[in-house]
Formats: sequence, structure tokens, C-alpha cells
Amino acid sequence: MNSTFKLLKKLDDTQKLKISVFAAIILFGYKIVFPASLNIFVMLAGELLVLVTFILWSNYLIVLIKNRINATLTILLNVAILNTVILFILKLAYKLFDYSFVKPENINFLESIFNGFLAFIVIVSAAYIFEVIETLFYLKQKKEPKLYFNLMIIMMIVTSLTRSITYLGFSAQFLIDAFEAITISLIVMNSFRVAWIAFLSKSEKIKLLALSIILIVLFGTNTGVTWLNESFPLYNFSPGFTKFLSLLMIYGIIYFSVVLFTTLFHIPTAGAIDRKTQELSSLMDLNKLLNRITDLKELGETVTKMTGKVCECEAAWLSTFENEELHVNSVNNIGFVEAQEYTEYLRKIKTSEAGIVTYQNDELENSGIKIKDKFNSILAAPLNIHGKVIGYLFAARKNEYNFDLDDENSIAAFAGYAAVAYENAKLVKESIEKEKLEKELDLARQIQHKILPKKIPRFNNLDIAASFIPAFRVGGDYYDFFELGNNKLGFVIADVSGKGIEAAFIMAEVKGIFESLSKVIDNPKELFIRANEILSKTLDKQKFVTATYGILDVLNGKFVFSRAGHSPLLHYHNGEVKKYIPKGIGLGIDTGNKFSSFLTQMEIKLNNDDIIVLFTDGVNESQNEKFEDFGYERLEKIISKYNKEDANTLSEKIIYEITVFSKNNIQHDDITLVILKWNFNNKSFGEN
Amino acid sequence: MAEFNVNKHEVGSVNVLDLKGYLDAHTAPELEREFNKLIDDRKYKVVVNFKDLNYISSAGLGVFMAYVETMRENKGDIKFSNLKQDVYNIFDLLGFPMLYEFYEDESEAIKNFNEQNKD
Repeated sequence: MNSTFKLLKKLDDTQKLKISVFAAIILFGYKIVFPASLNIFVMLAGELLVLVTFILWSNYLIVLIKNRINATLTILLNVAILNTVILFILKLAYKLFDYSFVKPENINFLESIFNGFLAFIVIVSAAYIFEVIETLFYLKQKKEPKLYFNLMIIMMIVTSLTRSITYLGFSAQFLIDAFEAITISLIVMNSFRVAWIAFLSKSEKIKLLALSIILIVLFGTNTGVTWLNESFPLYNFSPGFTKFLSLLMIYGIIYFSVVLFTTLFHIPTAGAIDRKTQELSSLMDLNKLLNRITDLKELGETVTKMTGKVCECEAAWLSTFENEELHVNSVNNIGFVEAQEYTEYLRKIKTSEAGIVTYQNDELENSGIKIKDKFNSILAAPLNIHGKVIGYLFAARKNEYNFDLDDENSIAAFAGYAAVAYENAKLVKESIEKEKLEKELDLARQIQHKILPKKIPRFNNLDIAASFIPAFRVGGDYYDFFELGNNKLGFVIADVSGKGIEAAFIMAEVKGIFESLSKVIDNPKELFIRANEILSKTLDKQKFVTATYGILDVLNGKFVFSRAGHSPLLHYHNGEVKKYIPKGIGLGIDTGNKFSSFLTQMEIKLNNDDIIVLFTDGVNESQNEKFEDFGYERLEKIISKYNKEDANTLSEKIIYEITVFSKNNIQHDDITLVILKWNFNNKSFGEN
Repeated sequence: MAEFNVNKHEVGSVNVLDLKGYLDAHTAPELEREFNKLIDDRKYKVVVNFKDLNYISSAGLGVFMAYVETMRENKGDIKFSNLKQDVYNIFDLLGFPMLYEFYEDESEAIKNFNEQNKD
């Protein structure tokens, strides 16, 4: 049974209409063949067909009603029209035929056809009326008291079917009366579901008043027409439906009487409710508008401008907390200075953490604030976010009427919306800034990636390895190799002060300087002096670059280098690691001639299996969980331990040790490591 | 995370800045504010006491580079004193001792300022 109903509900509108029409045609045909019968099976089959037809039409019509239920009055007007139609055609039937003593066997063919049409119109109209009342019953109800309504439907059907049985000659009038009494009690109970009336506007309520009077009259008339069961035109067609119709008409009278009185009681307050609803909907509109504004300044201006719409006031301003001090954020019809003065004054005389505060005339009189027309009352509403006050919205009024409770509530609600919008705008701003920062970092990484060499040069006598681990915020490390011809290899390792995109740009400049100078100056000291001249002019005062530049003769191992403020250069030779720190100031620190007079140049000769290790301070300043530096000593030990390995393996060992050491701390700076291993006569390297 | 603060006191015409904690890119603006105040007050003789400074980054070093010129142009200077060994090493590696005066103790730096005055 249930599943059949579910299936019915699933059909689309046209299918529902088709199946309903189909049922009506079958009923029509059946009733032509058996206009009326005292045979129990024929009669009950007919009654069943009527019931099915009614249910199917209800099932089709309820969708139409539900879709238009917001136009409640139009739907009720339809009910009135259908009642009139029922009344009219029943009256017409009485005119055409004499129903007083019709016996089932006396029904002629013409009458059967007429009754068929009559029944069709009445059944469809009754289905419509019934579904309207059902829809209204469930409308705007918070709980769905389905039980009473369904019980009522069942009782209506039971009463009707009992009526059908009496048609066959069984005497069961007392049963009908009892069932009818129960049904009518249930009808009365269910008639008090009229919550939807409260949601109508004042003018709609007045119209409803008139409409419900008309409906009561029509239902009353129709009750009268359907009450005389046995002489009723459709009595022979379906005695049960006749009963159902009269119950429906009674339901109509009772329901619309309740509607009439409820509406009557609602009308005096209708105007006030209308106004509240309007206020509420304008608040909602303001809220929507506020949430569209993501610019903090524009938001503040809109909020103060709209405060005048929320309640009557001449001036408004918004103050928000910045560093725990209230600052006027935006104003409307009042100067910034005056608004700030008022804010401070009001905070002094009376505050409330979370609630709204109204300041009256006597409190404002002694403010001492110079303003053309003094305010008579001021209202301060807190902007609350998760229980935290982020600021206050002030509304000020000049006329003698103080702000009332309604104004306070409206402003409080509006301030609530404004607070949410303000917080949203702030979050949007923050996320935009964060995104900008991330994009910037991305760009910095890309620049750095482009600047560092893609390939490491290869030589017979020299084994070279370079490792680079970027920090999250680009640290400004740079290394490069320059093949200078005449078997000379120039190489540089540098660290730009600062981080991020700025460091990346300086790196790019440094690369340009070294690349061009290395081609024309074959002396590290001279090259640095020239580089310092250039960088001193372009770098900001507080920026500098440290670097080590060396030139290696790949035929004889002669190695010349200078150091401009950079980390020491390590030289492994014959079981020990030497740390070279030739004098030299960082590039861009000294703009005068101290740089050149101080700078020295070292020259060493590499022996077989000697290792040169260059690195940036990211290596020795890597920290463990106790904030201890990795330092030089650890580095030297690793070099000594793995001195037999080739440059790449040694590099990997060092990086591995640093990673293990600093695994519980963040990598703050880029880590760069360049290793050169001199393998004179080692033919296994780079033969090609 | 990293704490940093600057205290200022005057010894005669010399202004001493006591640094404490970690001086890096995040905390450097605080030191810059102090230097700006000194310049606003036309006080150009500065001794920076590093006794309680544990770490200095390149951004921290940059602060001194940014202000030293103004101080020297106005017959003043920035002198450093009481550096811990590892902090001094950072300055040393960069060649700062060639460009700035470093002292074991604050009083020596102040004395030096006062001697220059007599000249």
C-alpha cells in the first residue's frame, strides 16, 4: 500500500494526469454499465473505483497547489469558485431530474451519462478542495502532526464506506452517526492548524477575512445540499462519496470559521508585524550588501551610511580596536576629530563589554565637545566576533526623542552583521596578502633556479661537485663556474644579505657582474675591487654581498683566490683541514678605499688528492633542536673522514650529516656547498 | 619567537644602546627606531653594547651600515663593545673591524669618544 503511494508520488505531472484521466474513464464506463446496483460486489467495486479516482486526482492536484501555495489567496479563491461550480451543477441536476424517489433500477441511460459527468466534476473539485485544506494544514508548521490528519482521513473513508453498506439495505445508522461524530471531532481538532495566517501581510489578511466569509457561506450552502443523502443527485452513483462530500463541506465550514476568527484577531497587530517584517527584510538586504564588500575602507563607509536607514539618526561612526585602542574607522555626518572625541568621552562615562549602551541627554551635556548641534542621545552597539568586541558602531540623534528598545534591537542586529562583514573583509585582505607573498616567493625561487648553473664543467684533473638546498624563503645563495680559457677555471660562491624576491634580484645582479668581470679581469683581487665599486653604487645601504672568488689552473693546480667577507675556505691536504680566511670586507659594506687596501689575495698549489670546500653560512649555521650551530669543526671532521671519496660522495655525506643534525629545526637559510678535488694524473676522470 | 630589546642610556654626550636577545630581520626594525630617534634628537655619538646579544643576522648588521654614515657626517660614530666571541666572529668575517671600532668594554668606547672631543 505504502509503496504504491510512493510510486504514485514519483510519477511526473503528465503521467499523473494521464493515469487520473484513465481512472475517470474506467469509472465512467463502469457506471454506464452498472448505473446502480444492489449487488454487494458490483456496488463495492464501484465505490472502490470512486475512491481510486479520487486518490489519483488528489495526487495530481496537490502538486499544482503546492507550487502555488505562496499565492494562498488565489488558491482560496479557486476553492470558492469550485464550491460555486459544485453548487451550480447540483442545483442544475435537481432542475433536470427528480431525485426524490429514484430507485436504482429506474435510472435511464441519459441520466447515467449526466450523472457520470456530474460525478466527474464533483470528484475533481472535491479532490482539489480537500488537497487545499491538507496543504494549508501542513503549511508553516514546525512539527508535522501527521497522525491526527491521517486518522481523520481514515475516519472519513470509514464513515463513507459504512454509508455505502447501508445503501444495500443494512441498517447501521447508529454506526454512521458514531463514526461521523468521531470524524467531526477530528476535523475540529485539525482545523486549528492555521499558522500560515500570521505570515500574510495586513492587506492580505483583510482580503482573507472577506474570502473566508464567502467560503463559509458556500461550504454551508453545499453542506445543506449534500446533507439530504437519499435525494442527492449522486446518491445512486456513489452513496459513500455522497457522505464524503458532506463531511468535506462540514470540514470547510469549521476550518474557514477558525480562519475567519483567527484572522479577525490578527488584524489589529497586522500593521506592526508588517513593519517588523519589513525591518527584518531590510536588515537582510543590508547584510547581503555588506557581505559583498571586501574592501575594509569601503565597508566602514557603507556601514555608517546605512546606520541611518536602520534607525533614525543624524550621524553615525564606526570605531574599531587597533592595538587595543579604539580608533574611528569611518564617519557619516560628523567629523573624524569629533567622532574620536565622542568615542573617548563615551567610553569614559559608561561602557558595556558586550551589550548595547544608550547615552541620554544629561550624560552628553557636559562632554565639552565643540559641535554645531549637540546630540540628544547616542547609541553604541558593540561589534562582536566570537564573543570578542572588535569595535563599536555609534548612532547619534539630535531631536528630543531618545532611542527606544526597537532602535536598540535593530542597531544591535545591524552591528552584528557589520562585525561579520568586517571580519570577512579582514580575512580576505589577509589571504590576498598571503597569496601575494607566496607568489613572490615562487618568483624568487624561479629566479634563483635560473641563475644557478645547470651544468658543472668537467676536467681531467679536477673533480667538481656542487649541492644547493634552498630555504623556504629564498636565502640569496649563488655559485657559478666560468671557463676562462688557457686552462683556467674561475668560480664564485656568494651570499646576498636579505631574503625573498629582493635577495633574488640582487643575486641576478651579482651573477651579471661576475660573469662579465671574470672575462676581463684574471685576478681575483682586482675583480672584487671592481665588483665592490659597482655594487656599492647599486645596493641599498644596509645590503651587502659576501663572496669568495678563485681561479684555478687546471693543468698545474695553481689556485689563486680572494675572500670578500665570505665564510672560510677549507683546504684538505695530507690528513688535515686548513681554514683560510684571507682579509677582505664584504661587498657593498665599504664605499671608500678601505675595501681595496684591506683585501688580500692568496695563492696555493694543489697537490694530488687535495680538496677545496666552499660553502655559505647556511652550512655552519644549521641548528639542531638545542639551537646549537653545526659549526666548522663538524664539517672539517666529515671532510677528513671521507677524504678518499670522490667530490660527489663527499658532498652527499656532508649534506646527509647536516640534515641529520638539523632534522628537528627549521632550515632558515639556503645551504650551498661546492667541492673541488684535485686528481692530478687520475686518468679515470673525464677522459673524453 | 626570538626576543629582542634595546635599552638606551646616556653617559655624558655619548648614547649607549644595550642590545639583548636576537637581532634578525624581524627584530631589526626595533633597533632602526632607536637610531631614528637618536638622529631626530641630533645625538650622533653611539656606543652599542652587545653584552646580552646572542645572535645577529645579516639584516641586523645592515642596521649599522644604514646609519653609520649619518653619524660620521655629524662628527659622531657607532662604536661596538662587549661582543661575545661568536658574535664578534660574524663581524670579523665580514671585515667590520676595518670599518668600525670594537672595544672590550663600554667604558673604553665612551672614553674614546671623549678623547676625540678634546682634539
